[in-house]
Amino acid sequence: MLADDGHLIARLRTGDDVAFEELVEHHAAPLLAVTRRILRDEEEARDAVQETFVAAFRGIGDFQSESRVSTWLHRIAVNCALMKLRLRERRREQDVDALLPHFDPDGHQDHSSVSWRETAEDILQREQACALVRQCIDQLPEPYRVVLVLRDIEQLPADVVAEKLQITRDNLKVKLHRARQALRTLLDPHMRGAM
Amino acid sequence: MSNVTCIELIAFLDAYVDDELDPETRADFDRHLLVCPSCRAYLATYRETIELARGAAEREEELAQDAPPELIEAVKKVRR
Repeated sequence: MLADDGHLIARLRTGDDVAFEELVEHHAAPLLAVTRRILRDEEEARDAVQETFVAAFRGIGDFQSESRVSTWLHRIAVNCALMKLRLRERRREQDVDALLPHFDPDGHQDHSSVSWRETAEDILQREQACALVRQCIDQLPEPYRVVLVLRDIEQLPADVVAEKLQITRDNLKVKLHRARQALRTLLDPHMRGAM
Repeated sequence: MSNVTCIELIAFLDAYVDDELDPETRADFDRHLLVCPSCRAYLATYRETIELARGAAEREEELAQDAPPELIEAVKKVRR
């Protein structure tokens, strides 16, 4: 735990309203970015942030002193967002096959893959390109998008994600690989030519 | 001579990238990559895809403006 975190937590535990406001003002924006990525719905994302702070305040006694406040809040926000996802009517799992590579009967790729013109590092320098990457992520069928967001972007451990999504580790691994391949397919036409 | 085909390599590409293959299988994959430019390109762009997804989200957070004031107020009200 950072020294500043320790001081803040101590004040929160005494019911210090100013400390709560500091907590909200400092952490609301990054938490909103997390819940937006998971939910893709502005209203639900904001609700999830509110619920995160309510849960955090109620659970302040459970805060482990070896954690960072930002990590603790991140975990709560992911849980709140996933609860909202589960509450949504279950959408039919869209077929991702069209976005996966295809092969000849002899096992070779039916269309040759080519390298992209620029490195990811160079592409990420341009805000327009970053927006395009985010749009392509949003086009992934929901179960694949959520797995990619939690594993590759939020970088939560596989065990944690499998438990949260109530799927096996093997199923998670398959979904993540398909999600990456599908995203690669969506990015490919843009990245082949210089953007 | 590589016995691995493109379909096998791409099916287990995540294990290759995450270094989860046994040494013998990894060596088979490496031999295929040496002779297959299409799979080399696929591997490179698969890795870049992961980097782009993560990097675009990090950039989004760097550029994120403050949380909307009405959200901050709504959260504070819940506490009051």
